[in-house]
Amino acid sequence: MATNGDDFTARLMDDMDPALLDFVKARVNSFIKWDLVRFFYENPHTADTVENIARYTGRNHAALKPEMEELIISGVVQKREVEGTPIYSLADDDEVRELVGRFVVACEDRHFRVKAVYHIIRGMH
Amino acid sequence: MERVPTGIKGLDEMLFGGFLPQTANLVEGAPGTGKSTIGMQFIYNGIAQFNEAGLIITFEEFPQQYYHDAARFGWDFRKLEKEGKLKVIMSSPEVTRLDVESVGGAIETSVNEMGARRVLVDSISHFERLTQDRVQLRSLEFSFINGLKRQGLTALLTRESPALLGETSEPDSSIAFMVDSYLLLRYVEIESTIHKALLLLKMRGSDHAKDIRQFEITGQGVEVRSKFEGREGIMSGSPRRMVDSFVEAFVKR
Repeated sequence: MATNGDDFTARLMDDMDPALLDFVKARVNSFIKWDLVRFFYENPHTADTVENIARYTGRNHAALKPEMEELIISGVVQKREVEGTPIYSLADDDEVRELVGRFVVACEDRHFRVKAVYHIIRGMH
Repeated sequence: MERVPTGIKGLDEMLFGGFLPQTANLVEGAPGTGKSTIGMQFIYNGIAQFNEAGLIITFEEFPQQYYHDAARFGWDFRKLEKEGKLKVIMSSPEVTRLDVESVGGAIETSVNEMGARRVLVDSISHFERLTQDRVQLRSLEFSFINGLKRQGLTALLTRESPALLGETSEPDSSIAFMVDSYLLLRYVEIESTIHKALLLLKMRGSDHAKDIRQFEITGQGVEVRSKFEGREGIMSGSPRRMVDSFVEAFVKR
């Protein structure tokens, strides 16, 4: 059977650490989430409101909030309330932090970045 | 008397051994005078020399900037964080204030888990954006400082001063009255060269050096040197030689 071009590309793009592939597909599935993950990796003890984190990352807070909420559902970010104010921070879970670190370090490789971008764009459609 | 040494060459001598425990200590200066460096050094030396874990609370500068700046002096903040001896926390004044005042907040948890004894707040000036009301601002700052003390922390608070040289007009904050010690950093112009001067304006509950010292930021951090000799008007930013003042006052008549 002839190899379909799309299948070949898909297999090529899936060629990465399975844990990172799953992380990209299921958790960092948008560019805003990617920014947030990188921001929390570089500034791991940040704890603030979504408005302030939007300011730190140079994003519109209305666009950032739903992405942040999805990162909470996927366990990357945690939310707590201080006197009724929701405060967001990177999850304390060591495994999550280790995975975030591996993802950001892997992104230094151009080939990995291309694959991650491919999966994010595919996930958007 | 028990002290919390900064470990900064020359500064502890001015402080007669160091800050007093569980006090709030203000370092004020213009941009680039070395406020954050003194703060980082206070925290780093606490960990490296005195086995006291520390926190850095930043309201504007990104933690990654601290990691980078600290590395210039050979201080590996990322490693210290991994070892549980340091946390560089980025937040806003409104969230930090609520956190410090609440029971079981993130800062209290960090203090309990890490055994933190020192904190750098960089900078307290950002509290001024919480309210335009001076009375309310004083109340917010007072409550925040007491919250830090309650947790057993010795705090170093930085404060921005807009003036590069000379006296500043007093901003709305009255924090200088609330803190236990007040360290002023100034640029000084002497013969077309900018020097840095340091003065310990007050230290509640202890005697301290009253002279104006020169200091430099070296590859190892801040080093406080000798006092300015033979000059007056140092804190004006443009000191004059005392001999010139003498000539003007008594000879040119």
